[in-house]
Amino acid sequence: MVLFVCALAVSSFAADANVQVQLDAKKATPRAVENLTERGILRDYRFAWMSMAQALEVNTLDPLEGPFAGEAKRMLRDMVTSQQRSGLTRQYTNQTHHLEAVFYAPEGDVMELHDTAEYELRISDGGKNIHDEHVVMHYVVLMTPGADRWVIRQLQAVPQS
Amino acid sequence: MPASVTAGDEATISTSGSGKATFYLLGPGVSRRSDVNLGEEIRIQGQDLRNAGDYLALVCSDSCHSGTFYVVAAKPAKLTFLVHPSRVPVGLSDAVSGVAFPFDQFNNLVLTPKTISFQLAAGDKPLFSRAVATQNGVAWFRTASGKSAGLLQVNASLDDLSAKRAVQQVASDPCNLRITGQRIPIGIVVQTEPVHDCAGNVVPDGTIVTFSATEANGKSTVDAPVKQGVARAQIEASGATVVSVASGVVMGNELRIGAKP
Repeated sequence: MVLFVCALAVSSFAADANVQVQLDAKKATPRAVENLTERGILRDYRFAWMSMAQALEVNTLDPLEGPFAGEAKRMLRDMVTSQQRSGLTRQYTNQTHHLEAVFYAPEGDVMELHDTAEYELRISDGGKNIHDEHVVMHYVVLMTPGADRWVIRQLQAVPQS
Repeated sequence: MPASVTAGDEATISTSGSGKATFYLLGPGVSRRSDVNLGEEIRIQGQDLRNAGDYLALVCSDSCHSGTFYVVAAKPAKLTFLVHPSRVPVGLSDAVSGVAFPFDQFNNLVLTPKTISFQLAAGDKPLFSRAVATQNGVAWFRTASGKSAGLLQVNASLDDLSAKRAVQQVASDPCNLRITGQRIPIGIVVQTEPVHDCAGNVVPDGTIVTFSATEANGKSTVDAPVKQGVARAQIEASGATVVSVASGVVMGNELRIGAKP
């Protein structure tokens, strides 16, 4: 635990076997991103993607409670229920996320981030693998502070500009 | 494969060959499987393309073939508008800020630049007006609070869309505190003249005023809240007393009251 906390303290980098997240908050305007906020974003964004991957791999809604809110949560719930109906699953592995904070509201109540995500995507139909792909995707993300964490309110993939 | 589709619009995908196949559509909020005939167009209904983002189309017969396309947000249909604070002292620079995000009817963030007009008014009097183009789907402003206490109306508009918020402007710190007082049988009664800020607004009830009484044998202090513009206090002092007054960092006049006869 001590090592983990130290690692977070010395760099804006969080990682586990599945999800790596890096955050560049230097260009965020009009409000500067404080160190503690940066760490919170790293921790909560990483957790959100782990939760999303779990929800879509085993088609369960529970992991979506907490890290997501608003439109992002509705969209992901629709994805899971739609997969439950069709018998499909999606597996996200070897995720790396390069996050850039581009907007942080003057009062700190909303942050926009751009994520360049890379992962291996596997689609299965009834347990049979039908598609494997190395994906590089760009996301526009809106996060807001909740009671004890930052939550994702908008997660929108966009074409690379 | 369509290059790009507007959210909620229908789309078609061409196929070649012949025979039966399975078509999969996977996107944000949708995972659909259906049987199709190769060589025919596949029609995707608008309700499956409501969420902006990337979509993967798969057609599988003996083997699978895939393609991707993006759905982009439709035209703005609502504004999310955050304004801070809800209550602000008058005459403060950079005290009021607002952030606006345009969303389409399906709650997709509209990322193409749009010009949002921010307007602040106190009653009928316009205080601030600025047109700001969204960058990455967001526009914002920050400005000073007005000079008069009362309701500040904050409006964001984009074409025929608008969102209204209200900020309560309250008096700033007290200014030019003045007190009067008199001796009574059990001590001294002191009270302020109506307490205003430097712009002449009456400070809100509950603002704390501190009275300090200094006499030969010591000093006593009483905090009193402003009620209907005036703060009052009773001080136990029998000797010659100097009463001073302060609120926050503002000092008022000193009052000298003689000893009890």
